[in-house]
Amino acid sequence: MIIPTIFVVLAFLGLLLILYIAKGHHSTAGNLDQLASQLRSVDVDAFRNLIDHREQDYLRERLPANEFRGIQRERMLAAVEYVRAAASNAAILIRLAEAARQNSDPAVAQAADKLLDNAIRLRLYAFRVVPRLYFGMLMPGVSLAPIDLADAYDTITRQVVMLGCLQYPTRGMSSAL
Amino acid sequence: MFATRKREIDCGLLAKSLIFQWPMLFLQYYLWIAPHLLLGWTLVASFRRGMHRRLPIFFAYAAFETFQFLTLLALSLLSPFPRDIYNWTLVLETGISSCLMLAVIYELANTLLLTQSSRAELLRPLLRWTLVVLMFVAAVSSAALSGATVRRVTNIFQVLDFSSSLVEVGMLVTLFLFSRTLHISWRNRATGVALGFGISACINLATTALRSGLGKSAFIAVDITQMAAFHVCVLVWLVYLYLPNRALAFAGSGLGKSDIQFWDQELQRITGR
Repeated sequence: MIIPTIFVVLAFLGLLLILYIAKGHHSTAGNLDQLASQLRSVDVDAFRNLIDHREQDYLRERLPANEFRGIQRERMLAAVEYVRAAASNAAILIRLAEAARQNSDPAVAQAADKLLDNAIRLRLYAFRVVPRLYFGMLMPGVSLAPIDLADAYDTITRQVVMLGCLQYPTRGMSSAL
Repeated sequence: MFATRKREIDCGLLAKSLIFQWPMLFLQYYLWIAPHLLLGWTLVASFRRGMHRRLPIFFAYAAFETFQFLTLLALSLLSPFPRDIYNWTLVLETGISSCLMLAVIYELANTLLLTQSSRAELLRPLLRWTLVVLMFVAAVSSAALSGATVRRVTNIFQVLDFSSSLVEVGMLVTLFLFSRTLHISWRNRATGVALGFGISACINLATTALRSGLGKSAFIAVDITQMAAFHVCVLVWLVYLYLPNRALAFAGSGLGKSDIQFWDQELQRITGR
């Protein structure tokens, strides 16, 4: 009876998971204002600095091994926080882009489509980067610079501002574009 | 005198047992017939809403389930009851139904998640490998669970039922987790189809595992539970079919003023370096 019991437990866990996720789909539906309030600022420059291998080499040369390991651990933990914030913002942008895809203006819909694609890419990338950063904490000597994530965040930031320009041309958007 | 008395006692016992059996018999027939009537309703309603164009394999699955029910009902009404033909028909149709259900899961993945290239890149191999692993686990655990009965057809049915339930649960959980991880929203009707299948497949997996563990004594209880799960599954499909499509709730919404300000500041900081 051990194997049947295992499958019964797995089946109920699967059922609970499916119900939970399906319920989540409903509760977040259309609640864009609430999602937007969860946006977190990401300092891309600071993130680039944290994962810069030259910076890492510099610290390794100047600091005693023990101190370097401690500092590197702190730096990687901070980088993980940045990645989490970027992934969280990307998740919100996925919802916002999905909403903008319904727009009757084809230019807005196309911009939203691109934003959606890149936000998903960023989120997927973030999931791959976090374990690498944790690994970097355990093995401070190994270079695991996930520089693409900062570039991807740059791209989606430009795209979301572009989308805003297309949706609200009169609001006066960033001169940085 | 004795014979008459005995017949009276027998008749009394029979009547008593019928009184006790009647609710169970009613429940069994209700759970067999009612979900399929509702499935017929679902078929008609989904045809009217053009779901046969958006989810053609699901539509074919629902049509096949209805056909399977009608075939088995017709066979069960024959006298004398052709047990072997009934059992082999059940096995054959369960096999076809399982293949169709797997195809529906792929259809859900295609329509819900694979429209974007970045999702397709990740999801296609993920689904492929999940299927391979699940097939392997199903093969190994079917062998471990084999509560072999003397009837070959029953053994085949049990293995088929258990394996298909395991694969369906695994694939559906993978799809739900994927959508959750990436925060991709599903359209209402497709969520309904996936949720209905998910409920039914999970209950089927639990009950088929129990049937292998408990043996013949659990057959009726397992059948009733599975039929009840399918009833819930069809009800979920019907409810979602009549819910307004959530995509419309997003229409007209977009970036708010605060969002634009936030992203504008983010961009200025990036470009100001």
